[in-house]
Amino acid sequence: MNEIKRILGNRRILIALVLVLLINGFLFAKEQAENEYGMNLNLPQTELSVSLDGGYMEQVEKADAKETYAHYREWLGKVKDLPLRDAASVLEQEKERLETLLKNEDSPGDDAKAAYAAVNTLLAQTKYLSDYPDWLDSIQKNKDSMLSFSIFSDPDSFSGRNILKTAEEFEKLQGVELKLGENGAVESLLTFSLTDYFLLIVLMIISVSFLEERKKGLWNVVHAAPGGRLRLTIKRTAILFCTSVFGVLLLYGTNLVIGFSIYGGYDSLNRSVQSVELLGGLPQLSTIGAFLSGWFLLRMVAAFFISLLLWLLLTALHNVKYTILITSGVLALEYSLYTFLPVQSSFNLFKYFNLFTYISMSDLYTNYLNIDLFGYPFGICRISQLALPALCVLFGTACIVINCCKKPAAGKDTLGRFAVKLNSITDRFLTHLHLFGFEAYKSVWIQKGIIVIALLVYLALGLSYTAPVPVSNATEGAARQYTTELAGEITEGTLNRIEHIQSELNQTIADYKTAETAYENGEMEYPQFDVYAREASAAQTKSEGLDIVRDRVEQLREQAQEKGFTPYLIAEAPFESVYGKTAESNRQSAAMLSLLILGLLLAGCMTYEKQSGITGLTASTVKGRGVLLTRKILLAAGCATLVWAVVYGLELRAFLMICDTKTLSASAENLALLQNLPLSCKIGTALIFLYAFRLFTLFSAAMLSLLVSSCMKRMETAYILVSSVMLLPSLLYSYIGLAPMKYLSLSIPISAIPLLQGENAIVNVCIVTVCLFILIGISAFALCRKLRIKR
Amino acid sequence: MKLELKNLTKKYGNFTALNNMTITFEPGIYGILGANGAGKSTMMNLLTDNIDRTKGEILFDDNSANGGVDILKLGKDFRKALGYMPQQQGFYEHMTAQTFLYYMAELKVIPKKQAKSEIEKLLAVTNLSEVRHKKLGGFSGGMKQRALLCQALLGDPKVVILDEPTAGLDPKERIRIRNFISSMSRGKIILLATHIVSDIESISDRIMMMKKGKLIGIGTPNELVESVADKVKELPCAPEDLDKIQAQYKVGNVFQRRGETWVRVIGDDLPADGQYVKDHLSLEDVYLYYLGE
Repeated sequence: MNEIKRILGNRRILIALVLVLLINGFLFAKEQAENEYGMNLNLPQTELSVSLDGGYMEQVEKADAKETYAHYREWLGKVKDLPLRDAASVLEQEKERLETLLKNEDSPGDDAKAAYAAVNTLLAQTKYLSDYPDWLDSIQKNKDSMLSFSIFSDPDSFSGRNILKTAEEFEKLQGVELKLGENGAVESLLTFSLTDYFLLIVLMIISVSFLEERKKGLWNVVHAAPGGRLRLTIKRTAILFCTSVFGVLLLYGTNLVIGFSIYGGYDSLNRSVQSVELLGGLPQLSTIGAFLSGWFLLRMVAAFFISLLLWLLLTALHNVKYTILITSGVLALEYSLYTFLPVQSSFNLFKYFNLFTYISMSDLYTNYLNIDLFGYPFGICRISQLALPALCVLFGTACIVINCCKKPAAGKDTLGRFAVKLNSITDRFLTHLHLFGFEAYKSVWIQKGIIVIALLVYLALGLSYTAPVPVSNATEGAARQYTTELAGEITEGTLNRIEHIQSELNQTIADYKTAETAYENGEMEYPQFDVYAREASAAQTKSEGLDIVRDRVEQLREQAQEKGFTPYLIAEAPFESVYGKTAESNRQSAAMLSLLILGLLLAGCMTYEKQSGITGLTASTVKGRGVLLTRKILLAAGCATLVWAVVYGLELRAFLMICDTKTLSASAENLALLQNLPLSCKIGTALIFLYAFRLFTLFSAAMLSLLVSSCMKRMETAYILVSSVMLLPSLLYSYIGLAPMKYLSLSIPISAIPLLQGENAIVNVCIVTVCLFILIGISAFALCRKLRIKR
Repeated sequence: MKLELKNLTKKYGNFTALNNMTITFEPGIYGILGANGAGKSTMMNLLTDNIDRTKGEILFDDNSANGGVDILKLGKDFRKALGYMPQQQGFYEHMTAQTFLYYMAELKVIPKKQAKSEIEKLLAVTNLSEVRHKKLGGFSGGMKQRALLCQALLGDPKVVILDEPTAGLDPKERIRIRNFISSMSRGKIILLATHIVSDIESISDRIMMMKKGKLIGIGTPNELVESVADKVKELPCAPEDLDKIQAQYKVGNVFQRRGETWVRVIGDDLPADGQYVKDHLSLEDVYLYYLGE
């Protein structure tokens, strides 16, 4: 009991556990929305003859996910009690009706689109269920046909035995009754793999908490106490078991409850487990409810095994740092084997007898697989289940033996000697550093900023900086193509080229008229006439597109005369793709990543001194106040620049790859995106201003990080609080929609584009700039007060 | 060179940690004695400007020809002359001893070349040369204490403030460090606060005694010892009476002599029986007389 009190009495552990639980629930719910509630939202393909060569261009439209899901539930309610064949027929009819409606109507309503997508999804589900018996039959047929091949025919070989075993296992599913129902909750529970890693984090937190006495130099005392060996070890084993049970119940239970609240389906748990398509390959006769009970139970035992393994690894060595290093190494190796070893590899034993098999357990149920053990096929699911109790006993015993028998003062610090030698080399370099260098060394090396930087590069490379700019109709598509073709300074030549294209299009349309007459008079065959018709249709669309371009050219010429800039026709798609509305979520992700990384890099900058208890000492030195603060601010600026260079460098690179750099010398007024920019400048200059503004905002955020960091006493709280201050308002505004948070959200000025849109662009930019200056000023002043530079 | 405290007062709400302290320090070693909470660390924090004072002045006069200037006005110029070793063992635990000293040298604006030779010398004196490449986090309490002392003495400071410099050191190391402090004290003001009375006794030129934020006495070790000449008695005592005596008098050592238990009592009102101690009076007696409760 005291041991539980000790662990849960540690506020940091408690906060971490609660955070894990909350983040898991939040991400799970978010994932459902991002996955479009498992709906296939594609609508029937529409053919648009828009391309300049007269060919066809296909465009796929999508229905709204939420509406589709509402229709899905409605239709499921209507058909789920019908026999599958009848249900399929009803759905087929409805699908045909909706398809016709969508194709014939010029602008079909969103409701019809959503209904179509819902019926289509439900039909696919029905089809799976009605095809399932055929699939089972095919396994039996395959058995006979494969055994007739010479390479599989040997019943004493692994292949032969595997074929027979597969057929035998699925034979017992013959006649299983499958029903339609809400599968979303079960499917999302099994596919949301982040929870597996959240559980690992929980187990890791508790296992690492057992090392506390070692970290605090109390191991000798605890080991010498009467209850400090076997009793304590047994208590800890029990705590790991309870953590596994409650961890699984809380994390996966939350997911299941959220899943049921979104998808429903808790009243149809008595269906056969194979009714869920994801579990179609599970050769086990049970209901969904029974499967879930077993799955939860096995998850708990697996979690217990993982926790025992982690504890064993963590207690194997005396030095806490090395044990953590070795544990990380083992986890990395296991993960590599699990992820990169091919299924067909003769070493696939290491892939499946792997810690991560027990972490990502759902794969065992969703993929039917037998592995070769001494020539005999063993179901990976079955073997993993059977091995679990034995592994728990084995590792539990090992943990007890090691924790009872390991002597606190017996460790030889062999690696320590090596570390000293390594330090002597690094020390030689460090002696040449000046104050800024030392501060950078503290942030980048001691506070593990190097890992954060690596994370930044990894995540930034994974970000998407360009977004597709869809065309809403064929005319717009044609206009875009002509704009690209005619892009450049607007001169008489541009107008002449437009007129030339127009006359060509007119000619095509006139040719069609002639062909029409010829066809009506029987002088032309239909295939030949169809070519004319298609070309004329394309020409008509192109002509409308050209009109848009012509209007734009004339508008630009008028504006240019009024405002005195050189008119320039610009292909706006590349700009829209990176800086437009469609790329808003990209920019938001980039801004959030920048803020998160900046926060993590600087959270410890001031706190580290406080946690080390060294502030009094440094403040008594010559450079320990003003100069030290200046260096820290310089470091903050450096970090802001680094984050900016990586994230926005990649964004700029992505933009320059799709944009004609000549357009950068055109006046910004020529670009619709920047038409509200009150300053007369070139597009290139506007972009420089945009990126400089982002750097300035990042620097302001860096100053805020320093200020928050200076208020914290412990690194862990600093990391949590700085990240929260940097990200929370943006997250609440962007994902929850809390409007007041807009004014505290740093991601908006970092993204900067929203400020430049609207008629009050200059006012917005000025207000935000002043606010940022005030933020920098307040932060600097507060930091000066804290370091007793200003009283 | 002079460091002058004038009516220096520090209050935390209603609690007065330092009460109108007035004293002038001149070159030499000043031992500061006082129980926990006497105001020693508060005084040191005020001297290093790590806390705000409530009232009073701290004037530093580098050249006695001029009047002293408040250290708040001097700022960096005073901190150039300052070496400080705090009581709490605060460290960058992930730095090696050598890197930490170079970092402190950088903060103290000591040129690299000078820093190198000073660090070598100080590491040798404090017996840390062999572990210079070890991380400070792996140091024992005594090693950390020596590393802290090293940084305080870096840059040859004129004012050295040492808060418990020998705590946690073994006797051999304590003597070594003590002697080193004594040898480098020429022309410097060294303020040394400690509970280890013998350290102060052997190296201090003057000893300050503080109680409840006030200075209650100052003098050379001999003067202070002489001041308690008639205040110490030794008397035999039955073990069962020991508690009674301890409740009535300030009791120093309890020891065995010729098979009997004896106690050393200190104070103005001493028991009638027993013998006055004329020789072998120590600073411990002084401490108990002035500061014992």
